[in-house]
Amino acid sequence: MSPRSGNILVVDDEATSAIVRAVCRRLEDEGWSTRVVSKEEHGSADDMLWAALEEIEESLPDGVILDVRLGEYRDDHFKGLDLLKRIVADRPHLPVLMFTQYSHGVERDTVARSALQVEAPVEFIDKLASPEEVALRIRRLVGAEPETIAIGSRIVLDADAGAVLIKYSDGQLAAVNDVRGRRFEILRELAQAWYRSPGNVVPFDRLERYLEGDDTRASLRVRIREIKVAMGRALEQPLGANDFIVSVRDRGYRLLPPRE
Amino acid sequence: MATLTHRRIGAHPWPAFAGFAVAVAGLVAMVISLFFPITGLFPKPWPVEPLAYLGIAGVVIGLALAVGAYVTDGQRRRHSNGFQDVGDWSRLTEQQFETFQHDLGRPMRRILGKCREVRGVLAATGEDVSIVVHELLDEIEEQAPSFRLMMANMQVMINLETPEAPAESYPVEPTAVVSRIVERYTGQAMEQGKDIAWWSEPQEFGLVYSDAAALEHIIANLVDNALRYGGDYIEISTTRGAETFRVDVTDNGPGIPAHYRSHLFTRGWTPEMGRSEEKTSSGLGLYISRTLAHRYGGELSVTSVVAPQPDHCTTFTLTLPVGAPEA
Repeated sequence: MSPRSGNILVVDDEATSAIVRAVCRRLEDEGWSTRVVSKEEHGSADDMLWAALEEIEESLPDGVILDVRLGEYRDDHFKGLDLLKRIVADRPHLPVLMFTQYSHGVERDTVARSALQVEAPVEFIDKLASPEEVALRIRRLVGAEPETIAIGSRIVLDADAGAVLIKYSDGQLAAVNDVRGRRFEILRELAQAWYRSPGNVVPFDRLERYLEGDDTRASLRVRIREIKVAMGRALEQPLGANDFIVSVRDRGYRLLPPRE
Repeated sequence: MATLTHRRIGAHPWPAFAGFAVAVAGLVAMVISLFFPITGLFPKPWPVEPLAYLGIAGVVIGLALAVGAYVTDGQRRRHSNGFQDVGDWSRLTEQQFETFQHDLGRPMRRILGKCREVRGVLAATGEDVSIVVHELLDEIEEQAPSFRLMMANMQVMINLETPEAPAESYPVEPTAVVSRIVERYTGQAMEQGKDIAWWSEPQEFGLVYSDAAALEHIIANLVDNALRYGGDYIEISTTRGAETFRVDVTDNGPGIPAHYRSHLFTRGWTPEMGRSEEKTSSGLGLYISRTLAHRYGGELSVTSVVAPQPDHCTTFTLTLPVGAPEA
């Protein structure tokens, strides 16, 4: 299921390594398309730098995953930072995720601070990070939620259609008719928060915006229960208090994808 | 780059100069004794030239003085905080560690890469393999977060022992830091059937003046501990006050008895030590976290409700100054 569309440029001297391949695979599973600038293709770190800049100009990626070290020669050890500075100078709003072994060092702080000064969306992540973590970080860095959000492997929230779709074992998609209108808006709010950052609690007042009446809190409770009943019926598994939409005491609700 | 072997002239201890001077005088005396023997001046000639004796003694005493001066000076420098060479030593250690971390990280990346490659192949081919294979792959993958935190702990430890390491503050968005931690541990939590939730008050938390790396490191240690020793639900909350902000990491585990709580922040202490069992961690995480909190003018504390009491849980509270810049 690949509901996301977007374009990520990966610049890494070890682009053919299993680590980078796993990251690309994960991003593609989420619906991103990936383009790789590698040492194998371009030879030297300098060539990689120019190729990456050219690629950014031409394909206008939504984000860049960039290694700090672009080669084994001493001069290439921080070549990725040179490229980062050029990207930040040319396109200060382009999200860059530095995918590096140097995610904790002094260099990171220096670059992070200089990047912060221009408010560039630059973050660092360890090369040992799981592909899931890289994908989550890219989601948050890129920022804009997609029109369709996959919640686990069976649920797709389609904002365009204003509907929640369930994927059945035969591959067919069917809309959950009981989750429309305000229920859909509440679910969309929860799904977008979860998409940006899993586990993020959406405060009550944010969800109560979709409701009217004197006791919007009670009304929200009822709507949440209705959504869970409808989703449980569609998924053919009853959803309990700690499933799918979970209440966090005195705070709000959060989305929890069904365990698979 | 600073090196251990390079020493400026002014960095030599003065007793060493005195020792060298005595040694040189001794050598001169020995040479003189060869050309101008003075034994004949005595009424009863000595079997050995007295100046040679004096010269040998001078060389030995002088060299001993010089060596002693260097040794005591080295110890003094290591144990004090104000000397340039201690900083040089720490920076060198940090640089060497980064090289070591990179070299150690390479085989780790290869192992993890192969592990993920196997997962990819299994997913692509749809091959039905034993659950044991998946469990083994999970087990390999689970080592990565521990390795990352261990490396980060060592690096921070070195940094903390650098006397000149400045505690600088700059604009930081705490909720972005918390998001990064959640992204990092969500997969691991799901594998373990656990769950992480987070919220901030106010929701638009804004910026504080702190150190993002330090903040991230402290919260990572707290969440890692909660996943390791806590229950199946972890909640991270960030709340902002007028002068301070706080991050609470709460888990619904069985709680930490009072007699353990008093040791939690002791360097090297682990829960296993209280039970005379083998250590499963370095016992550095909480020590480093509290030291970092103090360095940035804050505090790290713990409260716990111990099972079988209802609502048993443990909360680590990090409090740091909002640190608005001076006008």
